[in-house]
Amino acid sequence: MELLDRYLQAVRKHLPWQRQDDIIAELWANLEAQLEDKESGLGRPLTTGEAEDWLRQIGPPMQVAARYQPQQYLIGPAVFPTYWFVLRTVFLWATVIYAIVSVVLIFTGQAPNATAVVEAMLRLPVVLMTAAAWVTLIFAAVEFAATHYPGKCPAFPGASADWTPSTLPPLEKGSDAGNKPRSYANAIAEVIFGFLALIWLLLIPQHPYLLLGPGAAYLPASPFQLAPVWVQFYWWVVAVNVFQVAWHSVDLVRGSWQRPRTVERIVTSAFGLIPLGILLAVPNHAWVTLKHPALDLVRYGGTLDTINKSIHWSLMVIIAITVLTLIGEAGRAALDAWRKRVAARR
Amino acid sequence: MTLTENLFENLRLELRRGCLTLAVLAQLRQEYYGYTLRKALAEHGLDIDESTLYPLLRRLEAQGLLESEWREEDKRNKRFYRLSSDGLQIFGQLLGEWQAINAAIDATLGNATPGNTL
Repeated sequence: MELLDRYLQAVRKHLPWQRQDDIIAELWANLEAQLEDKESGLGRPLTTGEAEDWLRQIGPPMQVAARYQPQQYLIGPAVFPTYWFVLRTVFLWATVIYAIVSVVLIFTGQAPNATAVVEAMLRLPVVLMTAAAWVTLIFAAVEFAATHYPGKCPAFPGASADWTPSTLPPLEKGSDAGNKPRSYANAIAEVIFGFLALIWLLLIPQHPYLLLGPGAAYLPASPFQLAPVWVQFYWWVVAVNVFQVAWHSVDLVRGSWQRPRTVERIVTSAFGLIPLGILLAVPNHAWVTLKHPALDLVRYGGTLDTINKSIHWSLMVIIAITVLTLIGEAGRAALDAWRKRVAARR
Repeated sequence: MTLTENLFENLRLELRRGCLTLAVLAQLRQEYYGYTLRKALAEHGLDIDESTLYPLLRRLEAQGLLESEWREEDKRNKRFYRLSSDGLQIFGQLLGEWQAINAAIDATLGNATPGNTL
């Protein structure tokens, strides 16, 4: 039957070459016998349509041939959990490192602008795909070695039969298993110390030694002074603290102090970016100036430059940390919300 | 195919996979070639696709559970399979396992039937 021969020819093309003849000879004998049975049952040869139906029922040639191949994995089930864990960790750290580097590059560049931010964000998928490709390549090599040289390869971490429960890491702070709700005393202490910190903050302009200690005595003699923007910055910091104390107080009054503080942390982090932004917007990065520039510029000009550069770099690091914290908190909140939604559906 | 149908199909295939191996080993205590083995299993109520059975025979032979030889029958060369001595031993062990599982499931099911699963 020509159709059967064509079918087997198509199957042959997808078989391992060393066993092609043997498998095809066996398949041919089996299918021929089956065909003869069918035809003797009908008392006539199969029509083309019937033969096509029969072969279609056996399956597409490539699929039939694939059944003769050993099961092959790029990354097998024993290695996959570790691969997935490593991939997620690499994704997280690649994003964090890329974000820090991008923020630093954008703000230290010639003219930081929205286009540079968008370009940096568009490059992130490429960075992540490159990281994923390398991780996959390494794990594929591990899988290959483990499959082809099983005795020679060391047991894969996490899949070893030598595993013992005592090697488990200690409970993480804040994990569900060990997370106790905050106590009432803790909530009251937060409000009291919040108020005390606010009072301390409000007293600083009149009593600088509260911040600088004995160093405050040298301020009148110093050739340097803070730029007026620090006053704005100060009041914004006070506002952030007032906001936090108010939030904690309302929580205490409403009896909701045991609730997670995710939203509060996100709002506070976002709020905290405002004074940092105000500082960053200072023209010429002049956060500290000379009291008498005409007299002191030659002598203290270099020092002034170093001070302002140090403030600039510190500001960049603080902004990067705040932005990353904000992203982390928002991501965790989104993940928690998603988990709750999925759990509610079940 | 709906999600439920797809899930059922996957679970059904998973359930059948081990059973088919046991059935094939049981049937090959006698010698058969591929097509007659398929017919013999079908007569006992176990239909297996060609594309499942023939590669399974190869795999079991590669694992040392079956022996095979090419022989001419009805003017056609056919590959006949039968249990090897290792296969016979493992078949005995698998049969014991199967009977234990079967007894445990029967005991768990109680009076449940496909129409009344409660």
